[in-house]
Amino acid sequence: MPIKEFKPLPAQPAPVSTTGPIAWLKNNLFSSPFNIVATLLILSGLFLILPGLIDWLFISANWTGTTQDACVDDGACWVFIRAWSQQIFYGSYPSGELWRVNLCLFLLAVVIYLSFILPINLRNKVAIPAFLALPFVCLLFLDGRYLGLEYVNTDYWGGFSLNILLAAASIIIAFPFGFLWALGRRSNLPFAQSVSVICIEFFRGTPVLALFFMGSVMLPLFFPEGVTVDKLLRVWIILILFMSAYMAEVFRSGFQAIPNGQYEAADSIGLGYWQKTFFIIFPQVIKVSMPNILATFIMVFKNTVFLLVIAVPEILQVILGALTNSKWLGGHATEGFLFVALVFWACCYSMSMLSTSIEKKLDTSHKH
Amino acid sequence: MNTDHQASIHNMNEDIIVIKNLNKWYGNFHVLRDINLTVKKGERIVICGPSGSGKSTTIRCINRLEEFQRGSLTVNGVEMIDDVKNIEAIRKEVGMVFQHFNLFPHLTILENLTLGPIWVQKKPKEEAKAIAMKYLERVKIPDQANKFPGQLSGGQQQRVAIARSLCMSPEIMLFDEPTSALDPEMIKEVLDVMVELADEGMTMLCVTHEMGFAKTVADRVIFMDGGEIVEQNTPDTFFDHPETDRLQLFLSQILQH
Repeated sequence: MPIKEFKPLPAQPAPVSTTGPIAWLKNNLFSSPFNIVATLLILSGLFLILPGLIDWLFISANWTGTTQDACVDDGACWVFIRAWSQQIFYGSYPSGELWRVNLCLFLLAVVIYLSFILPINLRNKVAIPAFLALPFVCLLFLDGRYLGLEYVNTDYWGGFSLNILLAAASIIIAFPFGFLWALGRRSNLPFAQSVSVICIEFFRGTPVLALFFMGSVMLPLFFPEGVTVDKLLRVWIILILFMSAYMAEVFRSGFQAIPNGQYEAADSIGLGYWQKTFFIIFPQVIKVSMPNILATFIMVFKNTVFLLVIAVPEILQVILGALTNSKWLGGHATEGFLFVALVFWACCYSMSMLSTSIEKKLDTSHKH
Repeated sequence: MNTDHQASIHNMNEDIIVIKNLNKWYGNFHVLRDINLTVKKGERIVICGPSGSGKSTTIRCINRLEEFQRGSLTVNGVEMIDDVKNIEAIRKEVGMVFQHFNLFPHLTILENLTLGPIWVQKKPKEEAKAIAMKYLERVKIPDQANKFPGQLSGGQQQRVAIARSLCMSPEIMLFDEPTSALDPEMIKEVLDVMVELADEGMTMLCVTHEMGFAKTVADRVIFMDGGEIVEQNTPDTFFDHPETDRLQLFLSQILQH
């Protein structure tokens, strides 16, 4: 008997009832009596709230003008935000020197963009040094003294740009620190291990508000007479230490996700401890930790508003100041706080999107 | 140095691995009990036994993936002691292939292969690449050089893992169940590479249950159970005239199918 030839069956499209918009509605919104009730309740709730909200936000809102008197309609007084926009974004930084702040933000964007578009063999060599240099380049520009520019005291730095730059500068420096602490925590050397554990547990177990107070009020008491350390610098160091502790814990969970076989394979080809750490373990730890790293960054970014308690003029402090300004006593708190919330939400949401795309980029499809 | 290497390959009488009274404990659990084993240069040894018998642990002691508490182990004249220099010297001589391949997933195949030559042996990049391509051709997958491990089949990944070890020009190759995680259709392509390697005179220690491989390739087959070497013999005697009832039972279990 001749042997039969095996012909694979061709693939067929999925039945229409499981795809398409109708199926989606049925599966996601109206799949059970409970879901039908929930969907209807939510829809009617939206129907009650949305028209009034849209009217207040957009239709009856006051968009043009420069003073409080321009706010004649019932809606939101966006004139308030407009009039204070420079303060909100740049603090009291001199108007003629704003390009320096813009340059720093631009450099930050460039470095982030670079780390995406560079080919893989250049990425580590260029992007990592660029990231590490960035905070110091920004310091030089914002301060200006050493570049022959007009000196701007840190008291004048502020606004939302300060929130962004301070958070970014903190996470960049906290990255290597956190990694070293995480390595230390896993180390067999008792000294390295105990130092790391103490640092991590202290900064992770202390509320960031308490740390800010300590930094601004307590720390100067320990300095020798005549020595002053800039308040913003102290805040920066505290943020770095606070963030390093969180990053160390993020990296620790990343380390635990690396299979033992990776260490064994690296050992078996004779790589030393640091070679193994940097070529084999570090890249994989970064990859699995990416969502948590971004989450930690978002947390610290939002925590920068706490700086208002020690009178650093970040965005919320500027708004509070504007609300008590004698020319704007018309009660614009809702607009002000809504605006701050919206700005933070927009930034954090785009960072989440960024994190998703980084995860996709790093995924070389080898899930076991 | 090269002539030395050539000469030593032909000297089959030289003991390359000497294990004496090796004992190992996990906590209070005595996993390896008085292991004595001498391997000559160019010898091919297959180790088999039930799971938990200590066969993997034994070969993992040879490149210090496992520590041991008592006894001595010498590889190519270097004694395995708790000294980084000795461990490094031994690891340079010993290549290892794992059950789950353990390729580095974030590096391309070529980078997986060149990492050791570049950073451990300090070879120039171009030379390391040439070596890597040579071994990729030997395991018959030079066209996959720029892919990532996740894009390859299990059999291909295991062949890459073999090539990665060979790139370090080891004197000894350890195989820890290299085909146990593979689909049946891929086992042959890996075994073919291993047979080829054996034909070239590589000193090999294989933990495997591929009895066909043991019969055709091994100079000596070792049976372990309960952390000790129960029996060792040439393949013919091992399979046809087992000396102990334990090995007889084991063989009857695995050869029934």
